[in-house]
Amino acid sequence: MKAGRADRIATIVFWSIGLVSMAILAFIILEIFGRGLVTAVSPSFFAGQPATNQAGGGVGPMIVSSLYLAALTMLISLPVSIGAAIYMAEYAREGKFNNFIRFCLDSLATLPSIVFGIFGLTLFVVTFKWSYCLLAGAFTLALLNLPILLRGAEESIKQVPQTYREASMSLGANRWITIKKVVLPSAMPGVITGTVLPIGRIMGEAAAVIYTTGLFIRAIPLSPFDPAAPLAGYIWYAQTEATVPDYRQIVNGGAAILLILVFLINFSARRFARFYAKRKQLEVKL
Amino acid sequence: MRKNNSAAENYGNRRRRSPSLKAILAILILIAAVTACSGCSVRRSGVIRVAGSTTVLPLAQEGANRFMDMGGGKNVLVQGGGSSVGISQLSAGIIDIANSSRELKPEEDNGRIVDNRIALDVIVLVVNRGVQVANLSSQQVKDIFTGAVTNWSQVEGQDAPVIAVVRDQASGTREMFDEIALDKEESASSAIECNSNGIVRETVGNTPNAIGYVSLGYVNATIKAIDYDGVAPEEQNAKDNTYPLSRYLHMFTSDTPRPVTREFIEFVLSPDFQNEVVTQEYIPVI
Amino acid sequence: MARERYIKLLLMACASLSFLAILLIFIFILRESMPALTKVGFGNLFTSTDWNPDKGSFGILAFLNGTILTTLGGLIIGAPLGVGTAIFLDQVAPKKMATVIRRGIELLAGIPSVVIGWFGLIILVPFIARITNSSGYGIAAASVVLAVMVLPTITALSVETLRSLPIELKEASLAMGATRWQSIRTVLLPAAREGILVAVILGMGRAIGETMAVQMVIGNSRQFTLSLFKPTATLTSRLVTDMGEAPPGVFRSSLFAMALVLLIFAMLLIFSVRMITRKRKA
Repeated sequence: MKAGRADRIATIVFWSIGLVSMAILAFIILEIFGRGLVTAVSPSFFAGQPATNQAGGGVGPMIVSSLYLAALTMLISLPVSIGAAIYMAEYAREGKFNNFIRFCLDSLATLPSIVFGIFGLTLFVVTFKWSYCLLAGAFTLALLNLPILLRGAEESIKQVPQTYREASMSLGANRWITIKKVVLPSAMPGVITGTVLPIGRIMGEAAAVIYTTGLFIRAIPLSPFDPAAPLAGYIWYAQTEATVPDYRQIVNGGAAILLILVFLINFSARRFARFYAKRKQLEVKL
Repeated sequence: MRKNNSAAENYGNRRRRSPSLKAILAILILIAAVTACSGCSVRRSGVIRVAGSTTVLPLAQEGANRFMDMGGGKNVLVQGGGSSVGISQLSAGIIDIANSSRELKPEEDNGRIVDNRIALDVIVLVVNRGVQVANLSSQQVKDIFTGAVTNWSQVEGQDAPVIAVVRDQASGTREMFDEIALDKEESASSAIECNSNGIVRETVGNTPNAIGYVSLGYVNATIKAIDYDGVAPEEQNAKDNTYPLSRYLHMFTSDTPRPVTREFIEFVLSPDFQNEVVTQEYIPVI
Repeated sequence: MARERYIKLLLMACASLSFLAILLIFIFILRESMPALTKVGFGNLFTSTDWNPDKGSFGILAFLNGTILTTLGGLIIGAPLGVGTAIFLDQVAPKKMATVIRRGIELLAGIPSVVIGWFGLIILVPFIARITNSSGYGIAAASVVLAVMVLPTITALSVETLRSLPIELKEASLAMGATRWQSIRTVLLPAAREGILVAVILGMGRAIGETMAVQMVIGNSRQFTLSLFKPTATLTSRLVTDMGEAPPGVFRSSLFAMALVLLIFAMLLIFSVRMITRKRKA
C-alpha cells in the first residue's frame, strides 16, 4: 500500500511540474501578445520608420535588416554546413579526426554568442576594415549557427535508407553522383526543416549582432556592406537607450513581431519541406 | 526506357551542371574574395557614420533627419555607445563623427582630431517621485553617490535605503559628474550602472528610493528633478554659472573630414539649427 | 577518380571549418587579452574584486562570482523543472498532451533572449523590489530568467535520453509488479542518469553564456556580492555593456580576458560531457 501511495504522490508531483512548465510558457506568450500584438499589427509600426525623439516610431527597417541578415547568413552557412554534413555522414570514418571535429563543433555550439560578437568585431569590423555592416554580422552568425545547421543536415542525410545508396551504386553511379542524385534529394526536406531553428536563432540574436552589424537605426540596408539594425538588437537598444517616450510600446510591439516572424518561418519551412517531399515522391513515381 | 538510361543521363547532367558543388565552390570563392578585398574601402561617399555619447544622440539624430530631408542623397547614420566609444572609433577610422559629452583626453588626442562644440548641457539630479527630498547640498550628493549615505533619513528624507543609479564608465556625463560633484572620487561600487541617459531616467522612475543624474534634455514627468545647493537646474542658472553641473557637448571629426562631413557639422552649427533645435533642450553655442 | 577525390577534399575542407573557426576565435581572443594577462597579471585579474578601469584596477572576480551564482541559481530552479517535465512528458502525460507540451517547449527555446529579459525587467524586477524592499535587480532576478532559458534545453535533451531507453526496460519493471513511480525511480532514472547529467551540463552552458536577458535584470554594478537582491554583474553582461565603450588598451584587453574565460568554460563543459558519454559507451 505504501508503494501505491508513493506512486500517487509522484504522479501528482509530475503533473504539477508539467503544468508549471506549461504555465510559464503560456504566461510568456500571453504577455508578449497581450502587450504587443495591437502595436505589432498596425502598419505604421511594422512598416514605419523609427522615430528618435518623438513617439510613434516604427520598426520597418529593422524587420528588413533581420530578414536580410538571415538570408545572407543562410547563403553563407548552408552550403558549407551541408558540405560538411555530407562529409561527416558519408565519407568520414569514426576515428580521431572525426572525433576531433565533433569536439570543435560542440565547443562552437556552447560558446556564448557575445564571444562570437566580439570575435566578429575584431576580425571583420576592425581587422578587415569592413566597418559595421550586414556582412560582418552574417559571417559571425554563420559561425554561430554552423553546429546546429550541420547537425540537422547530417541527421537527415543519415536517415536516408542504405538501400537507396546501394541501388544507385549498383546502377554504376559512383559515390558523389549517388550523394548528389539520390541521397541529397531525399534528405532535403529534413535539411530544410533543420534550418528552422538556426533562422529563428538569427532572428532572435542580439548579443552577436550589435557589435557586428552595428545599430544604425535609420538605415534600410541595400548592400551587404551597409550597416543595419536587426530587430532583436534594436529591441535591446530601444530599452537600453529609452530615448523615445513610447519605448515600452516599441519594445512590446517589436517582441510580438519577432515572435510572429519566428512562428511564420517555422510554419513555412515545414510546409515547404512537405511540399518538396511530395513533389519528389511524384517524380519518382513518374 | 528513361529509367534504364538514368545513370548515363545523370552522368550527362553532371557535366552540364552540378548545383550543390557549384554553390559550395561559389561560397568558398566568395569568402576568399571578400577576405582578399578586405583592405579596400567599402565606404560610400554619401554616408556619414556618427557614434558616441548618448547625451548628444537625440540632437545628432534630429540634425541627421533634418540634414537628410534637405535632399541630395545624403545618408547620416547615428548610433550611441558612449563618448569613449565614439572617440576610439573615430581614431580607428570606423566612423566619421564622434559625439562626445566630454573634452578629449590627452591620451586620446592623436593630433588629428578636431573639436566642434555644438551645445552647452546641464546635468540634473533626479529622484524617484516617491522620494521626499527636493534639495541636496553638494556634500550630501557626494556622500550619497560615494556610498557614505545609505539611507534617505540621513539626508532629511524618509526611512528607506538609497538606491544610487549612475552612468557607465564610458559616459562623458559620468566623468563630468564624478569630477565636479564627487571631487574626482568614484561612485560606490554598489551603484546600478546604466548605459544611457534614457535608461537612467527609466530606472530611477521605476525603482522606489532611487536617485540618479541625467542630461537636462531627458527630464520629464516620470521623475523628479531636485535642486543642487539650493540652485534649480535651469538654463539661466547654468549660463550665469550659479549652477555648476554643466558642460559642452562636442562633435569630433578628423582634421581632414570628407566634404559631406564638414557640410553636416556646418549645418549643426548653423543659426537655424542652433536656434530651432538646440535651444529646445540645450543652450546654443552661437 | 580524380574528380571524386577533389570533391572529397572540398567536403573535408567544409568539415574542417569548425576547427578553423574555433582556432581563429581562440587565437584572436588570446592575442587581444595578452596585454591584460601580462600587465594586470593573472593573479590580480582573477582574485581582485576591484573593477575600476579608469583608476587602473581590473579585477574580474566580482563578475566571475556573478556568473557562477546566477548559473547555479538558474540550474537550481531550472534543472528539477526541466528533468521533471521530461519525465512527465515521457511517462505520465497522455500522448496527445505530451506532443502539445513538447511543441510548446520547443517554442520556448525559440523565444529570443532579449524578449525574456524584457519581461524579466518589467514584471520580475518590480515584483522582487516590492517584496524585498530592494532595487529588485540582482542575482535572484537573473536566476529566474536563466531558469526559463535553460528549461527548454534541459527538457528537450532529457526527453531524448528517456526515449532512447529500450521499452523492454520499463515493461519488464512494470511486469514485475512495480508501480510507475518505482519503475521511474529504480529503473529509468538510473539508466538515464548520464544522459540527464549531460542535459544539465548543456543547460549550464546556455546559462553561462546568456547575455542580454541577464544584462537587463542584474543591475550591472561593479560590486562583489553574495546577496541575492543586490545589483552585480556577470562576465557576459559586463562584456556587452563595456565592449562598445572601452578604449583600446588594458581596459579593452581585460574584456577579452573575460571572453577567454567564457571560451575555456565552454570547452571544459564539452570536455566533461565527452568524458561522461565515453564512460557510458565503455
